[in-house]
Amino acid sequence: MTGIYIHVPFCRTICPYCDFVKRPIKGAAPDAFIHALTREIEAYDGDLDAETIFFGGGTPSLIAPESLATILDVLHRKFRIASDVELTLEANPDDITQDLLDHWKALGVNRVSLGVQSFDDEVLRYLGRRHDADGARRACGLVAASFLNWNMDLMFGPHPVSAYPATLAECASFAPPHVSSYGLTYEAGTPFGKRSHEAIDEDSYLRLYALTAESLRGLDRYEVSNYARSGFECRHNLRYWHNDTYAGFGPAAYSFLDGIRARNHVKLEKYLADPGGKCEALNLTRREIQIETVIQYLRLREGLSTIEYEKRFDSSLRSDFGDVLRALVSRGLLEETVEGFRPTAAGFELNNEIGLALVDAPVR
Amino acid sequence: MATPASHIRNFCIIAHVDHGKSTLADRFLQVTGAVEERKLKEQTLDTMDIERERGITIKSVAVRMNYTAQNGERYVLNLIDTPGHVDFSYEVSRSLAACEGALLLVDAAQGVEAQTLANAYKAIEQNLEIIPVINKIDLPNSDIDSVRRQIEDVVGLDASEAILASGKEGTGAIEALEAVIRKVPPPSGNRETPLRALIFDAKYDAYRGVIIYIRVKEGRIVRGSKVMMMSNGLKYEVAELGTFRPEITPSDSLEAGEVGYLICNIKTLQSTKIGDTVTDANRPAAEALHGYKEPQSVVFCGLYPAVANDFQELRDALERLQLNDASFTFQADTSDALGFGFRLGFLGLLHMEIIQERLEREFNLTLVTTVPNVAYQITKKDGSQFTIENASKMPPPGDIEVIEEPYIEAEIICPTEYLSGVIDLCKKKRGIHVRVDYLDAKRCIAIYQMPLAEIVLDFYDKLKTLSRGYGSLEYHLIGFRPGDLVKLDILLNTEPVDALSSIVHRDRAEWMGRQLASKLRTLIPRQQFEVAIQAAIGSRILVRETVKAVRKNVTAKCYGGDITRKRKLLEKQKEGKRRMKQVGSVEVPQEAFMALLRVGEDADK
Repeated sequence: MTGIYIHVPFCRTICPYCDFVKRPIKGAAPDAFIHALTREIEAYDGDLDAETIFFGGGTPSLIAPESLATILDVLHRKFRIASDVELTLEANPDDITQDLLDHWKALGVNRVSLGVQSFDDEVLRYLGRRHDADGARRACGLVAASFLNWNMDLMFGPHPVSAYPATLAECASFAPPHVSSYGLTYEAGTPFGKRSHEAIDEDSYLRLYALTAESLRGLDRYEVSNYARSGFECRHNLRYWHNDTYAGFGPAAYSFLDGIRARNHVKLEKYLADPGGKCEALNLTRREIQIETVIQYLRLREGLSTIEYEKRFDSSLRSDFGDVLRALVSRGLLEETVEGFRPTAAGFELNNEIGLALVDAPVR
Repeated sequence: MATPASHIRNFCIIAHVDHGKSTLADRFLQVTGAVEERKLKEQTLDTMDIERERGITIKSVAVRMNYTAQNGERYVLNLIDTPGHVDFSYEVSRSLAACEGALLLVDAAQGVEAQTLANAYKAIEQNLEIIPVINKIDLPNSDIDSVRRQIEDVVGLDASEAILASGKEGTGAIEALEAVIRKVPPPSGNRETPLRALIFDAKYDAYRGVIIYIRVKEGRIVRGSKVMMMSNGLKYEVAELGTFRPEITPSDSLEAGEVGYLICNIKTLQSTKIGDTVTDANRPAAEALHGYKEPQSVVFCGLYPAVANDFQELRDALERLQLNDASFTFQADTSDALGFGFRLGFLGLLHMEIIQERLEREFNLTLVTTVPNVAYQITKKDGSQFTIENASKMPPPGDIEVIEEPYIEAEIICPTEYLSGVIDLCKKKRGIHVRVDYLDAKRCIAIYQMPLAEIVLDFYDKLKTLSRGYGSLEYHLIGFRPGDLVKLDILLNTEPVDALSSIVHRDRAEWMGRQLASKLRTLIPRQQFEVAIQAAIGSRILVRETVKAVRKNVTAKCYGGDITRKRKLLEKQKEGKRRMKQVGSVEVPQEAFMALLRVGEDADK
């Protein structure tokens, strides 16, 4: 069983903080891209059983419904798609119309992830978003009415910082079953990279982080930045956090199949000329996969159970990582449970410290 | 067939660092065909990577060249390349003793510098024939007349016949060799009297053992004969001997006047004494040649493996490096903070840097180095006297009658416009003014007596900065003098860290303590708990700085492609962490142990 990721590298406007691969376009995603994508999917020869499909970007809501139909048609012909497939599409609030949502539903999309970020105009301008607060409200209303399963993307840290509590409150009023709220990162290589001095201090960051969990009643923080009502956790993203396999299509998309983490050509022209051609492919060692798996699982509230680990690697978690995990317990970053290990509150806030301790764990 | 002494010339090139010595030597190799054109790389005689990279000469090297002079006669020219940096001046004296003449190389744009003067005086003392060469005349800002005057007025040599050269363009090389033949006397020394050969250097070769560099002063030495070291009476059979061309090239004998090498199955450099006299075991000379003073370590530092398990590896590395370079010393030492390691002694700060770099580079070791310090002579109230090379070995202040520290006399040459800056710097470094002389209208020489401790820290860098690179420095030890010194301790989370202790002048202790604590605050990374940094003299806390606990370190987004990228990032960060030393519960980066060197950097700006 695997998951399918489709990268749609187009945006109407470019947000200055975003470090995903994208380029500006005027209209819908171009046919050349759709063609290349279908060629790439047709040539795929990996695991054919898929339980999740995720259209990410970029801005997948820029795909015209008929193109989306083409892509899904190719996917259905290629893969054995599970009957309970989770089919997510990321959308920009400005693109949302009732008509479009109806098309998506008809095509089988059953989860929409809406890039709201904030309900404050000043914050949205700071982030360089193309929608405003009213646009976000309108889109949320439409999506909430049409989809049972949907996600609202939020961000804390952009200025004015004081707008965040009101955004959280407004978010709650739409009662989304899933919220992703990310601390704004001033990524090097983006225009925001040069503005890192604007980043909020640690104490404010942690205050807003805690406020997020408090305000989103009924939703559990099941991952560092993700909150869901029970049963609405994103199954596709859980594949990443469980370090499971996934097949990525589209420029710059990553795949993780048969222990190989590979990336498609990043440049659109290269991708169009050679869809599915890789710009990097790393054959991970068993140890590297073990380390990545433990690190990824420990981003999750559920943590990593010894049974799960043993099932996967036919080896004991305690003998492979016991010393390091216990040291992390004594540092207050993990707690040991009957099932295994999971992060504490500090373990979320200092999650990279867990990774740092694990990354060169001595082999016994 | 042996070359008659009348057709041998032994000479060296002496110069201030950077005045183009190695490039001119390359030209000599080229015009005499000693090295084939295609094999000639830049700085051929600087065989160590580190020498080429830094553009300096560390070890003396000898080379034999065959040269047909303009008079049609064939000569053997032995060139001994010498280091130019003040730390290696002992190497220079050794090389000079093997020669009859020296080319004094002066940069046509820079003029006479501190080491020009120091090395020229050494050559004059040794009675060498000195031939001035004004080099780099191709430079647009060269000023030949002024440099000529400086050589006459400051060094006191006749510069009317100075050779004008450009090592870069190759001009003047032949003229210089002709002048060597004309002016440098051929070696004297009877070839029939008992053998006396001076050991002027030695190096270790993994396959052949010790290779001894000799200058035969009297008599002759033949392969297979038995020789004796006059200092200890040890006898060896000569397995191989020969000359440098520039690779070692075997021959049957070496005669009085010649420069060459000797291999006699000697296993360690320690058993070879530079400056010793080699004589014939069956027909020993009555008296040894005049040797040299052994170089003395003046700067010391602690060296610890970053990972405790590497201790044995570090010991092996030090032993192997010492086979090659006997000029540094080491002995095992322990630090509460850093564990098992070594105390090393060096000839100077550059020497220290080079040894450290070679250890890291040639032996792939990650090392923690402590701040360099000098040796102190302690007299306790009970009358006992001893020397300490490590601040942490200092007895409690109540037991000390007097602490004496080494003093040097420094000669600083700089353009007059920087003189006031130089004087300020010397004053700040507890310098005692001796005098200032003017070399000409534009340049002067300032003579100061100063504690060596002030020089080893950052004096040279500061001098270079304030004089925009034009200031040059030469110094020599003048003895120990009492000083009002105290031990400054650093505590991390209230635990004193021995490796961060230093000995400083009382008047500066408080300032230094504050600077050091605040520097450490910037160097010690935030950890999961708060770190308190305190500076103290005895039980008196001077200052406290705090490194706040890190409370947030999290990657907000981590999806498909991020997973491996993140692991690699973590690995890289961990690599940085591995270079840190766990002191108690605190992780301290290596640079922190050198923080003292960087104190005042910001204050001076």
